[in-house]
This record gives sequence, C-alpha cells and structure tokens, in this order.
Amino acid sequence: MPIQTAEPIIQMRHVDKHYGQLHVLQDINLEVQKGEVVVLIGPSGSGKSTLCRTINRLETIDSGEILFEGKPLPQEGKELAALRAEIGMVFQSFNLFAHKTILDNVTMGPVEVLHRNRKEAEAEAMELLARVGVEAQAHKVPAQLSGGQQQRVAIARSLAMHPKAMLFDEPTSALDPEMINEVLDVMVELAQEGMTMVVVTHEMNFARRVSNRVVFMADGQIVEQNTPDEFFDHPQSARAKDFLDSIKGH
Amino acid sequence: MSANVSMRDALYEAPGPKTQRLVRIGTAISVVLLVAFVAFVLRQFYVNDQLNPKYWSFFLRWTTWRFLLRGFLGTIKVAITAGIIAMALGLLLMLGRISPNRALSAICHVVTDLFRSLPSLLLIYFFFLVIPKYGLRMPAFWMITVPVALAASGVLAEVFRAGVNAVPKGQVEAAMALGMTHGKITRKIVLPQALKIVIPSLVSQLVVVVKDTTVAYVVSYPDLMQNARVLISNYDALVSMYFVVALLYIAVNYATNQFSIYLAHRSDTPVISRVDENPV
Repeated sequence: MPIQTAEPIIQMRHVDKHYGQLHVLQDINLEVQKGEVVVLIGPSGSGKSTLCRTINRLETIDSGEILFEGKPLPQEGKELAALRAEIGMVFQSFNLFAHKTILDNVTMGPVEVLHRNRKEAEAEAMELLARVGVEAQAHKVPAQLSGGQQQRVAIARSLAMHPKAMLFDEPTSALDPEMINEVLDVMVELAQEGMTMVVVTHEMNFARRVSNRVVFMADGQIVEQNTPDEFFDHPQSARAKDFLDSIKGH
Repeated sequence: MSANVSMRDALYEAPGPKTQRLVRIGTAISVVLLVAFVAFVLRQFYVNDQLNPKYWSFFLRWTTWRFLLRGFLGTIKVAITAGIIAMALGLLLMLGRISPNRALSAICHVVTDLFRSLPSLLLIYFFFLVIPKYGLRMPAFWMITVPVALAASGVLAEVFRAGVNAVPKGQVEAAMALGMTHGKITRKIVLPQALKIVIPSLVSQLVVVVKDTTVAYVVSYPDLMQNARVLISNYDALVSMYFVVALLYIAVNYATNQFSIYLAHRSDTPVISRVDENPV
C-alpha cells in the first residue's frame, strides 16, 4: 500500500545519541508521512526502541533535529507536554496507572490534560473500551486484567487523546503467545483507518501485512529501508540477510 | 502474624526430619534458659528487697495512676502533634527535593540531611537554651514538640522519597506521554502510589517519635517520663516505677505497630504485574 500524499509528519535529521561510550543512534535520517505505517526492526540493542522514544522526547538527543508537523520538538515544560499530548504511545510493559480503574486510566488524559468534561470523557472512554473489547473490565484495576487486555486498554488510553500519530514500542514483546494476536488485531484496524504509526516490533507477519515501509536498524544505524515485500524478499545488506535468516523457521 | 510466616517460608526451605529434631531440641533449651533467667531476676528482686510491698503498694492508689496518666496524655499529645508536623514537613521536604528546580532541590536536600543527622536532644537544647536568648520563649510543650518533629521530618522525607522511587518508572513515562506536566504527574500518579507503599514504614517511624518524647524532662514538660521521675523521688521506688512505665511505653508502641500492620493489609490492593523494562 503506497502512501499517496507526501506530507511528512515526523522528520529526523542527522540525529545522534550516546549512552556514555555507546553510540546508540548514529546519524539517523528518517521521514514518516501522514497516514504511513513504519515498522522498525533489527536485532536487540540496535537502537530501534531508543529511536522510537526520541520522537516524543522520552529520550533526549545529543545532536541533529526532530520535527513534528514541520516544527522542532519543544525542549521542556508546557510546550513539550502539549506536543506529547498529540502523540500516542504504547509501551512494552503497558504502564497502565496501577492505582486507577481501567475507565479512569482512559479518562485521565482527556480530563487532566485536555480539560474535557468528565461525563463526556467517560462516555467516549466506554466507546473506546468497547472498540478494543474490554468494556466489561471498565471498573477493575489493571492488575486484574491479562496482559493482552492491559495492552488493549493502553491503546484505548492513547486513542482517547485523539493523537495525530502513535508510537508502539514493542507492544507485544511482553505478552504470552496466545494474547499477541488480540493486540495486533487492534493495531491492524488502526492502520487501516489511516493512523500514522511508528512500530518497533518483532512480529514479521504484522510488518509484512500492514506496514508501508520497513526500516531495518543495526548498531545504532538505519541499514536499509524498503517496502515490506522488497525488504523481506530481497534484502540488500548482509546485516539484513543475516537477521532475516536468523529469525526464519520460527 | 502471617507476614512473618510467609517471610520465613520465602527464606528457608521446609525443614526435613533431622532439622525438625534439631529445632525441637533448640526450642527446649531456649525454654529452660528463659525460665532460669526469669527465676534469677525474681530472686535478685527478692534478695534486694525489691518485692517489698512498700515499693508496689502505692500503685493501688488512684492518685498515683492519675498522675501517671496525666503524663501519659502529655506524651501522647506531644507524639501526635510532632508526628503530624513531621509528616507534613517531611512531605514538603521530599517534594522540594524531587522538584526540577535545582536550587530548591539542593536546599531541601541539605535541610533533610541536617535534620536527619542532628540528634533530637541537640535540637531540643537549641530550642530550650539558645533561642530564648534571642527573645523567643515558647511554652514547654512546643520546646519539646518542635525539635522532635524537625528531627523526625528529615527521616520521614527520606521514607517518602523511598516510596516515590519505588513507583515504577513506566508509570511516570506513561503520564508524560499523555502530556501531563511534572506537578500533575506528582499529584495524580506518583504520590498516591508512593504513599500506599510507605504507610507501614511511616507508622513505624512514629514509634521513634514516641520514644523521642521521653527527653521532655529536659524542658520540664510533664510527660510520662517526667511524671514518673517525680513519683520515683516521692516514693523512693525506682525499679517498680520504671517497670510500670516501660509497660506503658510498650503498650503504646505495640498499638502503633498493630495499627501499621492493619493499614498495610488494608492497602494491600494488587499492583500492576511488572515486566522488566529495558529500552534500547
């Protein structure tokens, strides 16, 4: 599915980052178009999660620049918070607020950040929970839900903010195998509705079926990027070939 | 005490037949030693005439108890007031310390460490001997309450901070990703979870506050200890009086501990299943 419009929403230019001696992001240049689904793959430690987390500044960068809708990311304070409110994020470990009910988790953003009326926010939250199939759990606390249910709630919590783009940082890596699909299904639906998505994942089927572009990273660099069919069938670099060989037969 | 049992289960494997025999022998020896010790103490009391009715009979008089209970109330009043001040101040110190404002954070860090490292007796002397020289003369109640509260606030600030640090980092990241500001994240996400975590250690810390109040005699505030000293000189009954006073302190602190166990169980709601977080 090629993207027709060429309207970049996320732009990264010459981004570098170090953790002490470790050069985790090396001269990263990446553009994500509106409505595009970009999947980041690569061996562990390749910097793909770090890259994903720089886009809403959960990780700072040493040099280069990142633009969202053409504007550089704010560095701090209210402006940064306002930017984050426009970008949804789903974490590997769900990170639902442990002391709040499922419903309160979903209304937290709209009520506390967007200052929406609580009644309206709750009505919309219930719709979102129904959409991801966990409306029956609305009044439980996160620890009472399965991992798959928690992650679907986390997606609903992000959607409640009406984000312009969504980041998924290994959303299925902490799940038991039988729960992976229920989360992927929700993500597929989102992609089909035209949500802009950056997804760090090890789910190759998802990457092949849903993404517009696969970005392959190794040792802090973007080694190659291509359409999913081209990438999986005809990888160009030795690194990518090795990586794909190593995960084949699983 | 289910907490103790589970701790023991977690630390040691179930005993086998040989271990069970050793445990039985050990228990028997301990019981014999304990009985021997109590018998020895009673004998020493007897030999030194401490069991003489003249040392104990005044406990039959209501006036004795009224005087002791008045002191007991004084102790409770100081302990509760100091405890409340210490909690409020400790919370403020901790919030200042974790604030992104560097100067405020540094000041709160220094103040916390200062209160934490100064002995409360030294703080009491400061309020009793130094401050009055500069014209501020407080009632005896405050001369004991304020320094005890200050000393405890430093420790409580660290208790609160331990609770804040125990809240998983992912909770804060999720709140940041929603667009919440530092203040809102602290109020809505971090503090509610941190307080729940530290309630038991918080209440145990109040036991220390109760014990700190015993130096009230320095400022002549009539607490339990001070009134006991008066009775001791009246009746010339050191051992019996301190024995009864010790029981009273044990009763208060036992009640406080039970209260903390109750709170710990009540706040025992399940917490999110944690997955190891390792970005990169």
